Amino acid sequence: MDEKTSLFYEFKKGIVEENPLMKLMVGLCSALAVSNRVENGIFLGLAATFVIFFSNIIIASIRKRIPDQVRIPVFIVVIASFVTIVDLTMKAYFPAVYDRLGVWIPLIVVNCMILARAEGFAYKNPILRSALDGLGIGMGYTLVLLVMGVIRELFGTGKIVLFEKTIVTLGPVNPPLIFVMFPGAFLTFGCLMALLNRYEMSKKE
Amino acid sequence: MNEAYRYFLLFLGALLVYNIILIRFIALCPFMGVSTQVETAIGMAMSVLFVMTMATTVSWISWNYILKPLGVGEFLYIPVFILIIASLVQFVEMVIKKISQPLYRAMGIYLPLITTNCAVLAAATEAVKPGFLKLNIAYHFSLPEAIIYTIGVALGFGLVMIMFACIRERLETSPVPHSFRGAPIGFIVAALLSLAFMGFANLLGL
Repeated sequence: MDEKTSLFYEFKKGIVEENPLMKLMVGLCSALAVSNRVENGIFLGLAATFVIFFSNIIIASIRKRIPDQVRIPVFIVVIASFVTIVDLTMKAYFPAVYDRLGVWIPLIVVNCMILARAEGFAYKNPILRSALDGLGIGMGYTLVLLVMGVIRELFGTGKIVLFEKTIVTLGPVNPPLIFVMFPGAFLTFGCLMALLNRYEMSKKE
Repeated sequence: MNEAYRYFLLFLGALLVYNIILIRFIALCPFMGVSTQVETAIGMAMSVLFVMTMATTVSWISWNYILKPLGVGEFLYIPVFILIIASLVQFVEMVIKKISQPLYRAMGIYLPLITTNCAVLAAATEAVKPGFLKLNIAYHFSLPEAIIYTIGVALGFGLVMIMFACIRERLETSPVPHSFRGAPIGFIVAALLSLAFMGFANLLGL
């Protein structure tokens, strides 16, 4: 079996080659907004992975029954149901995180990443492939959130706090607050993208 | 605080102090995607203004007169609001197609994307469902307040879109380091703009 059609490839491509944030540039909003803390990144990443995994499965399994004209509303209703599950679960079990993430949880519905995968992948592919694709894309998203979160929290506050425990500290320095503020998100993301571009260009040469 | 002044503060807060793109990172996809030309940026901004205002109005009515009295708002608000927005977008698409063919061609695939434009759902959710908005002058909006807030948000979106499109047209011809071409330099520019907008913090006690 050649590499492009193997099942593992469907999973793997979401992490690097088709990374939703770095390559496809979808789902940016939430990524930039919540990556100021590692903890937020973990929770939103897991929530989005859950939603994309199950919505891909459902859409792939009913794809032959969806009429072409109304497919977008159908996708949205499927996605919205899973987001509601996440919304209520988080509110019940992690009220502090829910409060911090705020409007971003309902906004998973309109995360272009999930709709793009439903339309571009799950609608055309069988169930197992779609499930793996969703898992891969979700992982790629979570990974970028984690990297951004580590950079921003570490340099912006001088330490990383995870579940009310301090994991890493930079020692007694006066950290540049700008990293956890709004411009820092744009700056970090722009530089990460440029780094990735550079890496790929050097690989080509 | 008299009523007119309160409305003014609400509008200003949504427009500048809590600018939807630069301060709150909502709607970055169209911000990056459609802002390469000033003309398309204007078209996008106009249709967002229209869709957003209608979406908030309809959502407000359905929340206060249907969802809340029936007690199903907590777990049905996401599907209901998004369906309202999706049908409004379809409507706007038909109207634009009828009125202006060039505009329709220019907007291309981005019109359906307004459905997944987080800004529309965000404004509707915040203005309608209590508990999401972190503005300190309002907790629960009345209908006129919700509409004014939404217009502020939409104009803030348009303002930044058009500003950014102008900058990007200049960027096309400037000597940017190779690895920064395209999106990365866009993000750096956005960082600088965001820094400038942070200067509005605490304006008039907002």
